[in-house]
Amino acid sequence: MTTIVSRLKSFGWQQFVIVTLVALVAVSFDSCKSSGKLTRKEKKAQIEMYKQKMREIINGTTKMTLEEQERAISDAINKHFGDNELNELILQAQQINKAAYAEQDRIREEKVAVARNKLYDLLVNKQNLSADELEEEMNKIKAQNLGNSEIDELLARLETKINDMRKSASLEMTLKTKLESSFQSIADASRSGNTSMANSLIESALNYFTAPDVPVLIIISREGSIVDYDKPTTINSYLNFIKDQKESRNNVDSYRLDTAGKITELDLIKK
Amino acid sequence: MKKTLVLFGLLLLSAGLFAQADDDLSPQRKQAIDSLALEKVRDLSKYISIIGNKDTPWSEAQRVIERAVELFMPGSEMGVSSLSRPEVHYYKIREYFDRLMQLNYDRVVIEWYKIQYVSDLERQPDGTYVGVITVFQRFQGYDKEKGLIYEDTTKKDITVYVKRKETQIGGRLIGFWDVLLGDIRVKETSK
Repeated sequence: MTTIVSRLKSFGWQQFVIVTLVALVAVSFDSCKSSGKLTRKEKKAQIEMYKQKMREIINGTTKMTLEEQERAISDAINKHFGDNELNELILQAQQINKAAYAEQDRIREEKVAVARNKLYDLLVNKQNLSADELEEEMNKIKAQNLGNSEIDELLARLETKINDMRKSASLEMTLKTKLESSFQSIADASRSGNTSMANSLIESALNYFTAPDVPVLIIISREGSIVDYDKPTTINSYLNFIKDQKESRNNVDSYRLDTAGKITELDLIKK
Repeated sequence: MKKTLVLFGLLLLSAGLFAQADDDLSPQRKQAIDSLALEKVRDLSKYISIIGNKDTPWSEAQRVIERAVELFMPGSEMGVSSLSRPEVHYYKIREYFDRLMQLNYDRVVIEWYKIQYVSDLERQPDGTYVGVITVFQRFQGYDKEKGLIYEDTTKKDITVYVKRKETQIGGRLIGFWDVLLGDIRVKETSK
């Protein structure tokens, strides 16, 4: 017992107290930081930083987006720095930000109005544009990302129209291609001396038409509103003409169909 | 009165448009009718070789004769020459084709080449364009056993008449160029 008491007496109490105090100060500093409290120096730096940001917003030199500016202003307010100059700058920046938002809305409204008019024109296809041309115009409007439900609905309608146009163009292309290929097959069969094959191809080709005497017009020149034709003929004569001449000299320019989808009139044009 | 004036104005306008379509041919349109007339002569050359070909079935030859006759002005004649006689015989077009079909050879080859204008299409007072196209015709007659037994080359001049006409098709007023061939004259015959 005496040994223990003498050991306690010999312990350096003065040194122990100093070390403990240093440790307590260190711990208190650390806990101050983690609880969000700033040192005066840090607070000053932050106030300067926000002042700078607000000045940039006011002067229009900021590179922040409007949303980022709004967040920065909101952050500065929430910090409650209690700095008069900063508060004044915040108020000015808020006004600038609001005005910028209003201007942005005005520009967007203008763009929406222009896009709406353009889309209505495209939907009635005033300029008789092709499906590809319509799509190009539509993509230009889409790229503006106007975020307007009416515009989105018009875009969807235009997209449907373009798809319908493509479907009908592909049907039309199929018939045009079929006819031209049929003409070429007759010429090829005749050139190779296979007259019976050429005759059979003529019979098949006639199935595209309402009757063998469907009129066929051959355009020899088109200049503005003046169109010059060769002497009108009939499809039966024309198909035999291809066989006799052993060549298909004309392409399909246009045709008229009856309700059953058969051709009632055919216009050809020199290749 | 106003209505009458408007109608009269429209009539004048449409007459003017048709006159323009007919009278002042642009170079492009003139080129198109030049080519069309040349094409009709080329078409005829193909018909002649089909009709003359002994392998062509009779019914087919008759059909082609009809098509070939349609290319000519009514009453047109075709000159036929031979190395064996100095004079040129002229036959009405249909008779010429009938004779061509019945030529006394086992095989006949007729080829037309160097088809070109010798006299450009010129507008006549009645609005018809008239020109002359020249062709060279190589004729070869074969015998089954002796082979080639007759051959000549004939230069022929064909008068062409081109006139703009109008017709109504499917409710549309169509302006077309009617090309008709006239007499075909023999200019020279050589071996």
